[in-house]
Amino acid sequence: MDKEDQQTSEQSQSFLRWFRVVVVIGLIIWVGSTVYQNATAADAEKPFKLGLDLAGGSHLVYVADTTNVEPSEVSELMNVLRDVIERRVNIFGVSEPIVQVESSSFVSDSKTERLVVELPGVTDVSEAVDEIGRTPLLEFKLYDPELAQQLEALSSLGSLDSDQGTSSAAGIVSNVSLNGELVEDTENELPFTDTGLTGRYLETAQLEFAGANSGQLSNEPIITVRFTPEGSDLFAEITRNNVGRQLGIFLDGDLISAPAIREAINGGTAVISGGFDLIEARELAQNLSFGALPLPIELQSTQTIGASLGAEVLELGVRAGVVGLTLVLIFMLLWYRLPGLVAGVALLSYITIMLALFQFVPVTLTAAGLAGFIISLGMAVDANVLVFERMKEEYRNGLTSREAATVGFKRAWSAIRDGNITSLLSAIILFWFGTSMVKGFALVFGMGILVSMFSALVITRTMLIALPEVKKSDGSLLSKLFCNGFNFKNKEVAKKSSSHLDNSTE
Amino acid sequence: MFAITYRKIFLGIAAAVVLVSILIISVLGLNLGIDFTGGSLTEVAYQDSPDKEQVEVQLTEAGFTGFSVRASVDDVGRDAYLIRTKDLTELERENLSEIVVKLGNEGEVTRFTSIGPVIGEELKDKAGWAVFGVVSIIVLYVAFAFSGIGTPVSSWTYGGITIMVLIHDVLVPTALMSVLGFAFGLEVDVLFVMAILAVLGYSVNDTIVVFDRVRENLQANRQEHKIEISEAGMMKEEVTYTLTKPYEEIVGTAVQETLARSINTSITTMVTLLALYLIGGSVTSTFALVLFAGVLAGTYSSICIASPLVVTYSAWRNKKTELKSKE
Repeated sequence: MDKEDQQTSEQSQSFLRWFRVVVVIGLIIWVGSTVYQNATAADAEKPFKLGLDLAGGSHLVYVADTTNVEPSEVSELMNVLRDVIERRVNIFGVSEPIVQVESSSFVSDSKTERLVVELPGVTDVSEAVDEIGRTPLLEFKLYDPELAQQLEALSSLGSLDSDQGTSSAAGIVSNVSLNGELVEDTENELPFTDTGLTGRYLETAQLEFAGANSGQLSNEPIITVRFTPEGSDLFAEITRNNVGRQLGIFLDGDLISAPAIREAINGGTAVISGGFDLIEARELAQNLSFGALPLPIELQSTQTIGASLGAEVLELGVRAGVVGLTLVLIFMLLWYRLPGLVAGVALLSYITIMLALFQFVPVTLTAAGLAGFIISLGMAVDANVLVFERMKEEYRNGLTSREAATVGFKRAWSAIRDGNITSLLSAIILFWFGTSMVKGFALVFGMGILVSMFSALVITRTMLIALPEVKKSDGSLLSKLFCNGFNFKNKEVAKKSSSHLDNSTE
Repeated sequence: MFAITYRKIFLGIAAAVVLVSILIISVLGLNLGIDFTGGSLTEVAYQDSPDKEQVEVQLTEAGFTGFSVRASVDDVGRDAYLIRTKDLTELERENLSEIVVKLGNEGEVTRFTSIGPVIGEELKDKAGWAVFGVVSIIVLYVAFAFSGIGTPVSSWTYGGITIMVLIHDVLVPTALMSVLGFAFGLEVDVLFVMAILAVLGYSVNDTIVVFDRVRENLQANRQEHKIEISEAGMMKEEVTYTLTKPYEEIVGTAVQETLARSINTSITTMVTLLALYLIGGSVTSTFALVLFAGVLAGTYSSICIASPLVVTYSAWRNKKTELKSKE
């Protein structure tokens, strides 16, 4: 290889190094501008998701009663429940409500299934509770004569008085009204057993009038419910196997009617009638058409945060973040000089990537999450600091700045790896065990570890290696920029003045 | 290296800190918030707030029992009261907010939280299990990552000491919280748990960086001895190492070489914590303060506890084996 070739290959290498820097920085700027647009544009597809403590709103926790349900079916039922409540919540116009199922983890003794409802912007809990409470619980239960006898033995109950009503070719169950006293009794005392047919199989509900179907004179409002295909099959099976028995229709635990099954019904529709007036019936039909609860639920805890406070907390948090960031940047620049500047760019990239992840994953930002993120700004430079310290040693021992950087990365790797893997393992465990709030923190924590590793190993490295190559012995301004400490003037003075911090100076 | 030379002093300070922390926590206790105990917390803010006694009297008259009223400032800086009661029903909640809002000028319920006792109990369970899980995985990982580190102490020692250091680092902020709870009525909530978890991560990371350097220096300063032994007709090669420098010195150098990094990383972290404490608003100021104490403890322990403890342990073991061989 002659001299010219060598020169061109060196030139092309240098070009390649700078090309990489341009690509990396270009990508970061592109990500940054996307984040900025998403954060500021009014109709952005992926805006930041603010938690209730920043946006204000209500947080409700319901407990589902799963005692009468097969364990294997619980999770499916909970999903149905979630969908129903979600539909319910959506109709009262809250922006981005969150409805999610939370199971108590396997570490606690009692297995409970919870439904967490978050309503940003709704600061009146009673309103929210009422709205959700309007979702009816619909259950179909079979009359059990044995149970009835037992109950009768226990207390003298009102008798079931069947009053054969209407029937039709369409397969609508004929209406049987019950003794008034019995209806007022609590659900537990009624001699009915679960059939598994509940609101989960409900497809539509419609208001009709009894007269239209049967030619009866009374124009009683009734509600026709149509089951899903699955529900139709179940309904057909129940009716086929229990001809002659009474099928109780329960709404929110109250017995509405108990028609006798006269024949197997394959059409997949049933009628609820129980002496409703027009307004009641219309409301019920409406409520049912949004879905009926497959399980009884009970409100366990509520939380509200005023909306104006959330905005204030957010503003203060962002301000603290900006100040913290500025201080870290200044420190890094003063102490590590040129590499410190590179670390600053890497830190800004870290912030950009994290914010992009917050938007796209998406991560719901809470006050705690924000605080965690601000602190991570201080910790994220750790990998850089580790590398720079190793680099400093090599540089002082006579390697060129570029060689020192390469060796520094190699040597610092095991410390970065072990430190970050243990932190990452902790994050995974916290995510696994934690309640929803701890989970959010663990997610941000874990993401921060990965992104800060990426920013140090890829971004810092690319830029550091592209910098011009100098030796400490050159004594030029540039060579001094690769040293560290607060004093620029003289090596000896610098050493003395910084010796309280930098004891490794030989 | 000063930390190794004067290790008795530093370890003594650490032992004293741990003892005092335990004493503080056991005497003053922790002020558990409703996140753990269950109950309701109502924050009511006023333009002109009424007397605390007035609030208490009115609530007692309305039939509330076992409540506590604490003066505070809401997030926008208005005077407010935090009223802690048992887990309230919907009716009781309405009743309570009606009463307190009327007491002062422009009263407003700015926050209401109600947590069932079951959730609080479960949170305690979960927090305990999470900490236990994290600690065990760290011991295992450190023991694994440092396996083959050889003489004079095994990799399990490093894992064990990482955990001891961790306990120190967690006790200090917990004791601080205990004092804050005693003096200002601050309550332990989920945020505190998160702060402790963050301290956990910081502490382990800090300790491991120092141990990593010890590992590297041990490998650089050892001599390999290969002995061939025949065992059951097979030739086996057994490799043993001897250190070319005293263990103490090797560890001391490692601490010294990582000192600048330990201090610089804690400076950048503490700077952001300070910003959060001073500017970040009341919600996260306790969080920042607790973490600050944790990071401070973590920095001290990674320099002045972790490595000195390894040296002390190895010296103690040497003595023991010497005594045994003498017998």
